[in-house]
Amino acid sequence: MMRRALPLLIGALALLYPLLVSGSAVYQRLGALVLLSAIGASAWNLIGGYAGQVSVGHAVFFGAGAYAALAGYAQFGMPPIAGAPIGVGVAILVAALIGVPTLRLSGHYFSMATIAVAELVRVLVTNWEWLGGAQGISGPAIPRTVLDLSFTSAVPYYYIFLAVLVSILFMTWRIEKSRMGFYLRAIKDSERAARSLGVAAGRYKLYAYMLSAGLTAVAGALYAIMFGFVDPESGCGILISVKMLIMAALGGAGLLFGPLVGALILVPLEEISNSLLGGKGAGLTFVVYGAIIVVIARFLPSGLLALFTGLRSPRKPSATEPSHAA
Amino acid sequence: MSSILLQVIVSGLLIGAVYALFSSGLTLIWGMMNVINFAHGDFVMLAMYTAFLVWTAFGGGPAASVPIAAVVLATIGVLSYFLLVRHIMRGPMLAQIMGTFGLALLLRYSAFWYFGANFKTLPDTLLGPPFVFGSIRVDAPRLLAGTIGLIVTLSLHLILTRTALGSRMLAVSEDATAAQLMGIRPEHMQAAAWALAAGATGIAGALIATFFYTSPTVGETLAIVAFVTVAFGGFGSVPGALLAGLLIGVIEAVSAFMIGPVYKDVIVYTLFVLVLWTRPQGLMGKA
Amino acid sequence: MFLQRGVVAVLGAALLALGTAQNGVAQQSVRIGAIYPLSGNAASAGSSSKAAIELAVDLVNHGNPDLKDVPLADGKGLPGLGGAKIEVIFADNQGTPAAGQNQALRLITEEKVVALIGAYQSGITVTTSAMAERHGIPFMAPESVAANLTERGFKWFFRATPVAGDFARAYSEFLKEQQAAGQKTASIAVVNENTEYGNSVASVIKEQFAKDGLNISQVIPYSANTTDVQPQVLQLKEKNPDVVIFISYTSDAILYAKTMKDLNWKPAIMIADDAGFNDPSFVATSAGLVEGLVNRSSFAVGKPGSVSAVINDLYKKKTGNDLDDPSARAMQGMLILADAINRAGSTEPAKIQAALKATDLKASQVITGYNGVKFDDKGQNVLASSLITQMQGGKYVPVWPKDKAAGELKLPYKGW
Repeated sequence: MMRRALPLLIGALALLYPLLVSGSAVYQRLGALVLLSAIGASAWNLIGGYAGQVSVGHAVFFGAGAYAALAGYAQFGMPPIAGAPIGVGVAILVAALIGVPTLRLSGHYFSMATIAVAELVRVLVTNWEWLGGAQGISGPAIPRTVLDLSFTSAVPYYYIFLAVLVSILFMTWRIEKSRMGFYLRAIKDSERAARSLGVAAGRYKLYAYMLSAGLTAVAGALYAIMFGFVDPESGCGILISVKMLIMAALGGAGLLFGPLVGALILVPLEEISNSLLGGKGAGLTFVVYGAIIVVIARFLPSGLLALFTGLRSPRKPSATEPSHAA
Repeated sequence: MSSILLQVIVSGLLIGAVYALFSSGLTLIWGMMNVINFAHGDFVMLAMYTAFLVWTAFGGGPAASVPIAAVVLATIGVLSYFLLVRHIMRGPMLAQIMGTFGLALLLRYSAFWYFGANFKTLPDTLLGPPFVFGSIRVDAPRLLAGTIGLIVTLSLHLILTRTALGSRMLAVSEDATAAQLMGIRPEHMQAAAWALAAGATGIAGALIATFFYTSPTVGETLAIVAFVTVAFGGFGSVPGALLAGLLIGVIEAVSAFMIGPVYKDVIVYTLFVLVLWTRPQGLMGKA
Repeated sequence: MFLQRGVVAVLGAALLALGTAQNGVAQQSVRIGAIYPLSGNAASAGSSSKAAIELAVDLVNHGNPDLKDVPLADGKGLPGLGGAKIEVIFADNQGTPAAGQNQALRLITEEKVVALIGAYQSGITVTTSAMAERHGIPFMAPESVAANLTERGFKWFFRATPVAGDFARAYSEFLKEQQAAGQKTASIAVVNENTEYGNSVASVIKEQFAKDGLNISQVIPYSANTTDVQPQVLQLKEKNPDVVIFISYTSDAILYAKTMKDLNWKPAIMIADDAGFNDPSFVATSAGLVEGLVNRSSFAVGKPGSVSAVINDLYKKKTGNDLDDPSARAMQGMLILADAINRAGSTEPAKIQAALKATDLKASQVITGYNGVKFDDKGQNVLASSLITQMQGGKYVPVWPKDKAAGELKLPYKGW
């Protein structure tokens, strides 16, 4: 009985949320922001969670989506949404280019390489006049048609993001159940063992990386459409990459709903603490934010969902594993 | 070679030695425990504020602030180990990034809350006038930081390779279970490694404070340099960090001078990715 | 199963929080929202601006007998609204365009502010003012200089500050005067940080100087968060230009001052474009290294007893620092808003908008060095202008144009 009632209840709640908080534009927007972050973190989850390749450079793909949406508008007068598919294509292409060499690296080396590539891209974008250089690009400040998707209310955004998130989660769920999902988990546990069983590890990691990149670009494009502005720091900055990772890790990386749970905790925490404490100007927002992340990492190193999924028994101390390069 | 180009190279070597100095603590932790400390830059920041406090409290220069910062940071390092790192090491690598990133925010904004957002500097006359060798000028704070940087990284290397403490720490990092069988307590060795690494970071911060500005967010600027230096040189390799630091310092200085400051990062990052690609273990890391 | 229960708990908690979020609206005071970087890299500047805005509000609400010429500074609140007091709600933009826009929505819909002021960084002003435009709330930008801000066709956007074109003209006129007086200005170098601020100011200066026949021989863009500025200074040392214009943030400004001394190089005329070189942190740490530095500012402390001197004393009493230029412009922005709301005699956004459009303040009524305040159709203050100041004995003294000068220009640049 409960087993069937709960998903229905959650689904209804998700659908009705904007109406439930119809008195508060801020809470409607908060809902949209949670979903947007969950989209980015779920996209990251494919490579970082399922395949265990901890990318700290996904801002490159986020930026590809955001810049494609707004550059299409700024240069050719296209509605931002029309630029989104271009951004996705560019992100997949870039992922293939970056992925072939860097996915050969393992563990921290892969993470470091992705940080370096992302910083490299950020510096290049900063000096790229066509993309607005350091000044960034603005979207249509005053909507020309409804196609510009520029709304005062956050409700339309909420439903667009909800539809996108549900599609991504559905896709992830299908992959999880497929042969590819099995291979990715095998690679995560031990790439060497997976290879010895005949899994084409390199190829599947690359597929997951490209898919993850394309979906991250969707998040970037949606971000740019909602906020109407992107510059090198807000599009390709290291904080964008780290936030995706933290959100997924906090909820539970490699779990279908992990990133969503992470976003449900961190986004309201960030927004509400900034609203309550930010105006005092003493940096207290981030003291609280940092402390909560530390506490969760300390007591639930595998993420919040580990509480419920029996992952509670921690792995052996990783100090026992020699650090290995590819 | 024009004397200006020579000056560029000398300046690059000096800043490179400083990079090596503040990266050696990071490489030690990374190599010994396979933990990336995302709060490393903020450890440097705390050491810089310690130097600033020492100066405002009783006018103490580096002679006082360097040992004090070393002790303060070693204490913070050991506390971080026992309260946080020891636990997150049991989780996946993601937990380490999450935990140390949270720690970074916590430290950065605690400093913000206590000291305020304003930039602070130590008086530039603290260490006397610059040294002049012919047409080459070297300012005293950088010369001191560069020299001590060399001494500290070399001593760290000697401690790891030539002392009983060092071989025990290495034994734990190679195989904690085997080390335990030989009567070594892994946790003690790991705590010692954190004390050593954070202490070296303390020395680095106190010295950098003599010629750099101090602000709550300064660690962010320094951390990325430290990451690149460490991965470039090879995880866990102190001599690697030294070599990489010097190389990066000179490459940055020369490319900024010849091509333009905007492109120095492009060149360093490109080179870094190329090195990772061809030699993932870094210049002097073990494969 | 358990997972789902967790999700419900979280959603439930969020919903509960809602109930408490609606604050009672007691409209005794006029509420204005201020969005500034109170954390992140620009927090130093943001907190100075916050203090300056608080001082402006304090003048309106409680008054000061020494400031008779400044409108509303008689402590009677807003007479046009029956003596209502102003209340400012501050919000932190965290240095990101996203946080700025989120906070703008909160201030407008929950705090019910009647106008917004901010947001320091131009990129964040883009997103915050777009939110104000959609809700039909006046937005005052007292310090963001990016050219495109006033080109968006906004109806609710007002900018009080001079923009890059105004600075460039001031530098050009100033240098031509020095040329005529026999100073060497044959080669000019521009050193700029390469985010939006530095790039845009540098490119406008290049255009203006080319038009006016001034020779820029060297342009050195660099990234602001740099760990080392020695290569840039050595590039200058190699070419040895007569004039250098620095466009820098605080951290790099501090490094340039130190490094130029270390490497023992200085030009005959050294100009700084405001920003980092006017930051109280820079003045406190580096004033002794840049004696004779020529700077651009819209605010300079005049003779004792003058409006600027009184305000600077009040600010110093409050914060321990002298009032810096961006903060003075923020303060000016708040006073303009207060004046408009008072004339509107209403807290209705449309009436405030109309009053802002009708703003006509004289030079004697402003605290900055502006020639007054009057907005054009795009919302730009056409009377905004800059002073040229010079570091003399640890303080910036206005030296140009002559009619606003309080001291003699001393050249060449002395440094340390």
